[in-house]
Amino acid sequence: MLTRRTALLLGATAFATFAAGPRAWAQDATGFVVNLGNQLAAIVNGPGTYEEKKRRLAPLIENAVDVDGIAQFCMGINWRRATPQQQAEFTRLFHQVLLNNIGGKLGQFQGVTFRTTTTSQREGDSVVGTVIQRPNQQPNNVQWIVSTASGRPKIIDVQAEGVSLRLTQRNDYSAFMTRNGNNVDALLDAMRRQTGAA
Amino acid sequence: MPTPATSSLATPPPVTLFPAQPFRARHLATALVLTAALSVSACGSPPPPGSVAQAEDVNDPLEGTNRFLYRINDGLDTYVFRPVAVAYRDVVPGGVRRPIHNVLVNLSSPVVFANDVLEAKPRRAGDTMMRFLINSTAGVAGLFDVATDWGYPAHSADLGVTLALWGVGEGPYLFLPLLGPSSVRDASGYAGDAVFNPLTWATYGGSAAVNGARFGVGAVDARSRLIEPIDDVKRTALDPYATFRSAYRQNRQSTIEETRNDRRATVPAWFNR
Repeated sequence: MLTRRTALLLGATAFATFAAGPRAWAQDATGFVVNLGNQLAAIVNGPGTYEEKKRRLAPLIENAVDVDGIAQFCMGINWRRATPQQQAEFTRLFHQVLLNNIGGKLGQFQGVTFRTTTTSQREGDSVVGTVIQRPNQQPNNVQWIVSTASGRPKIIDVQAEGVSLRLTQRNDYSAFMTRNGNNVDALLDAMRRQTGAA
Repeated sequence: MPTPATSSLATPPPVTLFPAQPFRARHLATALVLTAALSVSACGSPPPPGSVAQAEDVNDPLEGTNRFLYRINDGLDTYVFRPVAVAYRDVVPGGVRRPIHNVLVNLSSPVVFANDVLEAKPRRAGDTMMRFLINSTAGVAGLFDVATDWGYPAHSADLGVTLALWGVGEGPYLFLPLLGPSSVRDASGYAGDAVFNPLTWATYGGSAAVNGARFGVGAVDARSRLIEPIDDVKRTALDPYATFRSAYRQNRQSTIEETRNDRRATVPAWFNR
């Protein structure tokens, strides 16, 4: 039977969870982005050649970003048109394309600093706001969308000045597919050319 | 800290690559007709950024024509606009380019102010007014942006955003030669903004030359600030046209929402302490 003490305890626990909950996710997500940002900035602004920096970025990105999830989102409706082999090949190529694209911008971000603004929640994910400052450039508002659906925080999207990375990429692939008869192999070929593997 | 892959889009192509240009009244008639033709839609809440619902809607019934104009513009850009912008950035030192940019921004203040008022955003209108007064005087005719340091940061406002806040629908996506990505609503807004601009109407000795210079320098300044973002899209996108379209529409939607949600009080911060 539920004693008064148990009931009180349950109530207090529920209240504590409710009260602490939002603060906890906000802290977790913000801390995750700050930590990742510091590591990225250390590599970008640190010593080493371009190739060395790119090599050091790769494991960091793979660990912090849900690249597989983003890949599937970017393929959109065409994911179901693809065979399991095509899906696997697309995901493999997508990892390379993403790393190449990030690596290609290393020079532009020399001397970068950032600060966090506010963290909010949108559809169950945390949205961590940052302002990114590069030398002699206007500051940019960049939001990091963090999901903990996999059990640990992962970046699932980045939105710069309201422009979503994954949505823009999805629109790019979708337009390409439409103009190439929805042929998945044509998309894979184009990505292979981008990564220099064909 | 690099922003994975979107950083190319960190500064998406702006509404217009060019400032308001000399303008005649008959264009106003065209603008009004275009505006009237737009559906005044109570669009409810738009799909959240990055969502699937937003992804599937490209809003581009004129895609064939738009792509044709994009190709022409891209050719001009490759052989004329971009090289000029690169030369400008390489030859003219930053200490000269920045004041030039500041003057152009300051000259656009009347148009920004008019839109702040039409959007019923008194705090933004106050910011614009203070910026114009401070930068035109202490900032030496707009050469220096001291207003930002004094607590009046810049914001953008244009008739496209104002019309959106009034409930005017976007209308079909347009790609305009020289002006770049747009929509029926934003193109109408661009035309209307030129009408707001006192510089469009002022006549004095050499006013045509001054307006021409403002247009030309504004174009070069705007393009020189987008060299890397545009290069990145062309290098990394499989379909740059579609990528510019997507980035433009997302950026505009985000600007509209940011303006809509700016509900700051009109009293200054020190008043509340």
